[in-house]
Amino acid sequence: MLTTPPHLTTLRPSPSTVSYTVSTASPRQTFPSQFLHYFLLLQRILLGLATLLVLYAKTSNPPSPPLAPLSEHLARFPWVQVGPLAFTSLFLVFRRFHTESLLTLRTLGIQTSTLSSSYLLPSDTRFIPTSQIRDIFIHEAFRGFEVRYYLAVVVEGEGEVVVVFPNLLPGRAIVEEVWRGARECLYEPKG
Amino acid sequence: MTYNIAMVSDFFFPQPGGVESHIYQLSTKLIDRGHKVVIITHAYEGRSGVRYLTNGLKVYHVPFFVIYRETTFPTVFSFFPIFRNIILREQIEIVHGHASLSSLCHEAILHARTMGLRTVFTDHSLFGFADAASILTNKLLKFTLSDVDHVIGVSHTCKENTVLRASLDPLMVSVIPNAVVAENFQPLALQNRAKTHQPISQLDARPPPPPPQRLGPEDTITIVVISRLFYNKGTDLLIAAIPRILAADSHVRFIIAGSGPKAIDLEQMLERRVLQDRVELLGPVRHEEVRDVMVRGHIYLHPSLTEAFGTVIVEAASCGLYVVCTRVGGIPEVLPPHMTTFAKPEEDDLVAATGKAISALRANRIRTEGFHDQVKKMYSWTNVAERTERVYDGITGAISEEEFYGDVSGGGWSATRGRAGVQSFALIDRLKRYYGCGIWAGKLFCLCVIIDYLLFQLLEMVFPRANIDICRNWPKKRRESRDQIDEEWDEAMPLRMARSRASSRRPGKRRF
Repeated sequence: MLTTPPHLTTLRPSPSTVSYTVSTASPRQTFPSQFLHYFLLLQRILLGLATLLVLYAKTSNPPSPPLAPLSEHLARFPWVQVGPLAFTSLFLVFRRFHTESLLTLRTLGIQTSTLSSSYLLPSDTRFIPTSQIRDIFIHEAFRGFEVRYYLAVVVEGEGEVVVVFPNLLPGRAIVEEVWRGARECLYEPKG
Repeated sequence: MTYNIAMVSDFFFPQPGGVESHIYQLSTKLIDRGHKVVIITHAYEGRSGVRYLTNGLKVYHVPFFVIYRETTFPTVFSFFPIFRNIILREQIEIVHGHASLSSLCHEAILHARTMGLRTVFTDHSLFGFADAASILTNKLLKFTLSDVDHVIGVSHTCKENTVLRASLDPLMVSVIPNAVVAENFQPLALQNRAKTHQPISQLDARPPPPPPQRLGPEDTITIVVISRLFYNKGTDLLIAAIPRILAADSHVRFIIAGSGPKAIDLEQMLERRVLQDRVELLGPVRHEEVRDVMVRGHIYLHPSLTEAFGTVIVEAASCGLYVVCTRVGGIPEVLPPHMTTFAKPEEDDLVAATGKAISALRANRIRTEGFHDQVKKMYSWTNVAERTERVYDGITGAISEEEFYGDVSGGGWSATRGRAGVQSFALIDRLKRYYGCGIWAGKLFCLCVIIDYLLFQLLEMVFPRANIDICRNWPKKRRESRDQIDEEWDEAMPLRMARSRASSRRPGKRRF
């Protein structure tokens, strides 16, 4: 649904902080895309409210006066039909674009985060202090029927590396840009 | 003209062996000559994924199911998606398959032709024609080689064998032998001299030849055998011959290195005859230790029953060992007659030949000191890479047909457009080539090729080319001009930048 290939957004709130975000949501630079975004947001809210209303009308017994016609109408449909429909629409309402980000704070460390696919589920965030970072590198690996680039952080005392952007695995151009930026931020440029 | 080449084989490091080191050495030398080489093999235990070796040689260990002796299960099509991905991201132009028992290599050649790439196949082994396994392998070989651009055999015997097995046009089969890294196989005397007289030998233009080793009639002669202990390596012959050789001369010792299913037979024989004190079993040795084992002996015994080339006997000769070997396969082509004694592949003759070699050594009729330098002149990987490059030039059309194939105007067909026509990638032309493979096989092969083609079109839709990242190349060695610097990697190479900056500061070099 309106997803694009993973693209990178860079934020530099201060000279020592950079946040790289990779997302499949379409970028909102132009007016039509912004309009589309808010339009879709409105649609979602309306769909969510409508679903809640239907569920309320179906469950409330006896029905409150203003909802009586709706309840009567809904009574003709069994739960087997209404339930899955409501569930699907709620799922769509709370669905989120794949978004993964890397926040680098000079002298402090880096934080990787993966937003969950739904607004209801908790997101996965991990902070790695500079003292524990051994290295950050780009390598290739087999995944499915493809060979993909990935950015990985070697953490001291751990047997496995931490893969940045583990689900989206953006292409080489993005990974290289993030790698350069992250190294620059972690290890201050010499002289 | 430089190419992007993919070497495909089931056999590669960490597994030791002749094919493996051939691929590695050839690739390294091709990279030195300015080509880009990647190796595609299956995953070994503890080694899966993408790796870089020395010199920027990239190895793809594709995770696959292994069935027998490190050969993958022949699934024909399952390798295609990942193969296509690798080929596209590495921008490969030539696919070079190795070893006829490797199904990965056969599949790669088929898919490469479907994708419209040039293909080369190198055969490293000889096969029979009579038993069921050979017939099956030969049919499979015929399948892939019906539509290959060029074939390379490691010896003339190997070439003949391949031509017969796959019914190829002999013109499209070249012979490029294996080689050895002579520096890694130096005789003991040479290395000692190099250690002790390092400053002197550097001053001398040519170091003096080492003093000949004298062997008296009472001195112990050590016979070395290094081989995997399989049936085709002639281990049974060895087991039968050892007691007779030892009985004939009481001053002979054996050193046997290697492992395999026949090791147990060998051990049983030693225990039955109580020969443990005269035969030393070393078990498996690593390739870099082979030289240290070889220099302990005087004679190298090679009882193999079939051998396409036999790199190990070149290595032995390079170490200054006299070689006794069976006259099978490509072995007679490998070494000049003064380095070897040949035997028929049977017990009596092998014993007799070894006896002859021992007495010749005792009589000091053989001068092994010069072997190393002679071998060094005969075999080099640089030469192999040059000749392989010429094959690449020939199939891509960089050199003309006449120059590559010689004068082929005699017949009504030309070598490249003949029975195993090379020029056309059109599906219908490819189908014609496969159809001639046999009454049933031809139709089956055509079916496979059509499915392969459809699969290719499907993959183009499911995984479009535009979504596949192109790999960065390893910074290339500059072949012609030294000024031409690969701009891309400069920031990763501060050393080179510093050097170029220093050179630009030199007066007279400035350009402003």
